Amino acid sequence: MNEFHGCEIPADLFYDLDYVWVRPEQDGTLTIGVTDPAQAIAGRLQYARIKKLDVHVDAGRHVATLESSKWVGGVPSPCAGVIVARNEALLAKPHLINVDPYGDAWIARIKPDDAQHALDHVTTGAEAVVALEAWIQRYDVQCMRCSD
Amino acid sequence: MESIEQIMRHDHERLDVLLEAGAKAVHEGLWHEAADLLQRFRHGIVDAHMVVEETLLFPAFETQQGHAGLALTAILRKGHQDLRVFFLEMAEAIAARDDEEFAALLRTVRALLKQHDSKEESELYPQVAAAMPEQGRAAGKLLLSLQRATADPGVR
Repeated sequence: MNEFHGCEIPADLFYDLDYVWVRPEQDGTLTIGVTDPAQAIAGRLQYARIKKLDVHVDAGRHVATLESSKWVGGVPSPCAGVIVARNEALLAKPHLINVDPYGDAWIARIKPDDAQHALDHVTTGAEAVVALEAWIQRYDVQCMRCSD
Repeated sequence: MESIEQIMRHDHERLDVLLEAGAKAVHEGLWHEAADLLQRFRHGIVDAHMVVEETLLFPAFETQQGHAGLALTAILRKGHQDLRVFFLEMAEAIAARDDEEFAALLRTVRALLKQHDSKEESELYPQVAAAMPEQGRAAGKLLLSLQRATADPGVR
């Protein structure tokens, strides 16, 4: 696991190089969440709204909205597709994102309209790690995880 | 003559009034009026206010503050990016006459604008007004010309 300023950056995920990580699943869907440095900037999340199942989103449109006392933001989709699953646990406990942003606190799963080009606008591997380290420096982030 | 700090703060207030008027129209089921008010709000904030900030004020602040200024402007730019998407979604909710979706988006936009405007008014504008008055004056002129170009009848 790559770590920078206390922030975890798994090299096997894909990233929009801003707030979002993406994991391609075996069934062709994409799981979406927010990164460790993004949850650190947001602080303890108090509200999560995730688009309903079967809703179609264009690339760049929000699949979810997150709020803390000091940060409000959208979670943009990396590609056009239909929401096929959402993490209901986050609606009751949005701060799970502060605890386990890459695991239990995934946000939504989408089925891309065009599977072949679904990952055209996200980056992975060493290139992503370097870009996210620059992002962490630009935002001056030091990551800390909540324990519950 | 008003400082850039006063000009931008007054523009926030003017835009808040437009947003709330649009929200009131949605609440009353006046969908055409709501669409018109939200369009005026969107023009004012996206095509004028954000343009001034992104082309003049953010670069001026970054130049003056160096690396320390980048963290603030990065968060403010992300806020603009999110707001542009939320405004599109609000317009779609109005077109679909979906007051439940509009109310959820309005809650988010109000919260985002409150935090965003507060950062700009307490950190960005005072620094630019004090340290870079020429850039501030240029920003004020640009805002006025862009407001006129959007033909917003609410602009004197």
